[in-house]
Amino acid sequence: MKRPIHTEGPSEGDGTVHGDAVADTTVALIRERSAAGELVSEPEIALFLERHVATPDTSMAGDCVTALLARLLLENEDLKALRGADSQWYYSSRSMTGEYAEILLHAQEGPVRLIAETVRHSARIYQRPVPLEIFTEPPFNLAYRQVLDCLATMAEIEGCDDIATTTTSSSGVYLYSTKHLEAVHAEMLAEWFDVGQAENP
Amino acid sequence: MSGYGGWAGRVLRVDLSTGGIRVEDTIERYKDFLGGTGIGYKVMWDEVPPGAKPFDPENRIVFAVGPLAGTGAPCNGRTAITTLWPTCWPLPLVASGHMGGHFAAKLKYAGYDAIVIQGKADHPVWLMIEDRKVEIRDARGIWGQGTRAATCAISEIMGRDAVVAAIGQAGENLAPMSIVLSGASHSAGGIGSVMGSKNLKAIGVHGSGGVRIAGNKDEWERLIKYHLSLLGANNQHVVPNSPQPWAEFYDPNSRWNASRGRRWGGAAHPVDTGACDPHDLNRIAYRSNNAAHFLGDDVWKYTVRGNGCASCPVRCHTILKVPSVSSKYDIPAVGQKTCVGLKFGANFFKELPGGPKGATGLEANMVGLHLADDLGVWCNYGQLQRDFIKLYHDGVIEKKLGAREYKSYSWGKYDKGDPSFLFELLPRIAGKVGELGTALGLGTGHLLERWNLSEETWRKDKKLGYWKLGHPKHHASDEVGQCGLLVNLIYNRDAVCHSHSNFTRNGLPLPIQKRLAADIWGAPEAVDGIGDFKPMHRSKARMAKWSLLRKELHDSLSLCNWMGPWAASPLRERGYSGDDSMESMLYSLATGDRKNREELDAVAERIFLLHRALTIRGMGTKEMRTRHDTIPEWVYTDKSGKAPFTKGAVHMDRKDVQVALDMFYDELGLDRATGAPTRATYRKFGLNDVADELAKTKLVPA
Ligand code: SF4
Repeated sequence: MKRPIHTEGPSEGDGTVHGDAVADTTVALIRERSAAGELVSEPEIALFLERHVATPDTSMAGDCVTALLARLLLENEDLKALRGADSQWYYSSRSMTGEYAEILLHAQEGPVRLIAETVRHSARIYQRPVPLEIFTEPPFNLAYRQVLDCLATMAEIEGCDDIATTTTSSSGVYLYSTKHLEAVHAEMLAEWFDVGQAENP
Repeated sequence: MSGYGGWAGRVLRVDLSTGGIRVEDTIERYKDFLGGTGIGYKVMWDEVPPGAKPFDPENRIVFAVGPLAGTGAPCNGRTAITTLWPTCWPLPLVASGHMGGHFAAKLKYAGYDAIVIQGKADHPVWLMIEDRKVEIRDARGIWGQGTRAATCAISEIMGRDAVVAAIGQAGENLAPMSIVLSGASHSAGGIGSVMGSKNLKAIGVHGSGGVRIAGNKDEWERLIKYHLSLLGANNQHVVPNSPQPWAEFYDPNSRWNASRGRRWGGAAHPVDTGACDPHDLNRIAYRSNNAAHFLGDDVWKYTVRGNGCASCPVRCHTILKVPSVSSKYDIPAVGQKTCVGLKFGANFFKELPGGPKGATGLEANMVGLHLADDLGVWCNYGQLQRDFIKLYHDGVIEKKLGAREYKSYSWGKYDKGDPSFLFELLPRIAGKVGELGTALGLGTGHLLERWNLSEETWRKDKKLGYWKLGHPKHHASDEVGQCGLLVNLIYNRDAVCHSHSNFTRNGLPLPIQKRLAADIWGAPEAVDGIGDFKPMHRSKARMAKWSLLRKELHDSLSLCNWMGPWAASPLRERGYSGDDSMESMLYSLATGDRKNREELDAVAERIFLLHRALTIRGMGTKEMRTRHDTIPEWVYTDKSGKAPFTKGAVHMDRKDVQVALDMFYDELGLDRATGAPTRATYRKFGLNDVADELAKTKLVPA
């Protein structure tokens, strides 16, 4: 039977119980991944610790990782958590904002949700429709076809009926949420962004 | 010379009629007007009589820079060139063009704050300035050549460190739609033909001196670093155009388009622009790729790097390398430009295979920028192309040209969007060849008059982007509401003012913009969301006044109004505020003439008022409100029938505009009835002599 790794207190002399080192490793992992523009989930953290910290006769029990992370959030101001559908996700605000982390979280939840939440956020925060092309760029990284498929799906499923599109005189397609933007305003803004601004550089 | 830093202390005077060259003391004569447009307006006021025409020898052309030119202050490379404006219609009035690059710094290093040129040489000449050595040189060998060849020829004589500002054939042939070009891409529109009228092909400057900073050097260093920390991307857009790990906000319309994976693919070793955290001051130059912003994302693969003006880390002139164009069109594969100039070629076409951002569009733009800069043709902020498209598609060109001339153009090529059509059109504009070349080279107002077309048609059609006096709108009411409208009233060309739009387009959410606006203009109502405009508010008048004064300040100090003012910043820890005292801090430390924000703005107001006085004297009337500050009809119209101040409407309400004018005139000390400065206003800003002269002809309101 493997012994659980202690996640509190100093390391012991025999090197099998890591104490603070586990905490330091976990914090460093979250910060590194944030610097690389990524979130890290609780299972990933557990797996990482299992591989890099645990020894043949110790292991990371799930609940002790949960407790460790809860403690680290309290002790490190920059560490933040986001609740996803299946897991908790972590990032460091030293190199990642909450807004960016939210986008990455939505990306974990599938392209339909990613697009819908991004469009809603843009309409709510900026009062702006979103050009369809942005979803083909980082951090969204969807294929153009995939974006079109998502739009078709949204038209059919429940919960996305606020997502609307408008097409400009230059054939640019823009998305907006009717919860936060009136159609007439969204249409005008899309035309301005796609055509008007280019004529008024 | 006084003990001031910043200024070189000398203004160079050149009389091309007599060959006379002399210098005068900058501080004695011009300190109250700073430099740049301030010196330009002062010279025009003192020396050019009302009624003079742009091409008269007595007209002056004033190349003037400011006390910050040639220092380490960011974005200080702008030269203001002031003269009687040949495209201003129906009568020429004073205006200024703005040239970037290294001319401004070199002029200071040679020991001058300005060059004032008058008279007319009896044969083509160029002006050689090498520190104290100034010579009028024979230009007959380079007359008839484009700006590139002229620049090369002068550089052969002066050496590679010299900076040359030259006109092309358009300027030589007195086509009003002409530029002067410095370096590879830094042009000032509207000036070329005035130089041509004086038989002045070019100015070459080499300076081996420096600019003295009056203040403490460590303090200066700290100030420069502080200023750099507040810079955004081009046009002071302070958020990136796509989500970045460091960014709280983004705006797909921002010119801050660096991102991991977006690479300068045309560089010898492609460079990834990266995330560009705003705290990394060594990566400011990676933030903006204006070619990609304007011409589409495909352009990343042709991008070599950014280029730009002296001491500016923003480098908004993107260098492109498009190998296909050299064999196809016999033009260099490498070209560079910024902003509307990047689209010079494609803008002529209503239809292009693959659209304006496709491969043919890019080729058209490469052809356009090379031809325009070499021939020295000006686009008047895209008005040339908009006019051309309308006149062609309305059948006016066919009607106005004789059959023979009409057939001499390959209209089939044009209809198909073939960029080689530009080789037929642009040289004829520059050479004033035929009716079409001549008419297009006049500028909109004179063209309409020549072809007996109504200006009213242009003033009604929003698509044409026309405003007044032969010139287009520049960030007007459809974009910045009443503030944009007011900013567009004042000048005798397009407003070329970015103070207001740099703020409203900075990408921050409206509540943050409103918070910053309240700090500067006294109330959050100063800014509205676009298409969600609200009725006039006093703070909008304050914002309009501030926008104009800061523009004059920048043009007089040599700062770039395509970047400043620095009202917002990319720094979240500052709540995104910039520093509205940046200009006064830089000025005070550089010159030793301590002025706070309000005191320096008061100098800008003096400069502004002198421009207003020049307009009043030039027009011979004080009735600015009804005869000068006019508003095109399209401002009040909306095809969909929406009412003003409803969601999605960008048109203005007539009554509200009159309220806006009243408030604006109040803020500036202008008489409400006429829009002319009152005597008290002239007096307040030390312009009693100006008021006295205007009063002689009853041009000061009672
Ligand atoms: S932003 Fe562009 S135009 Fe302005 S100073 Fe910099 S390089 Fe020149």
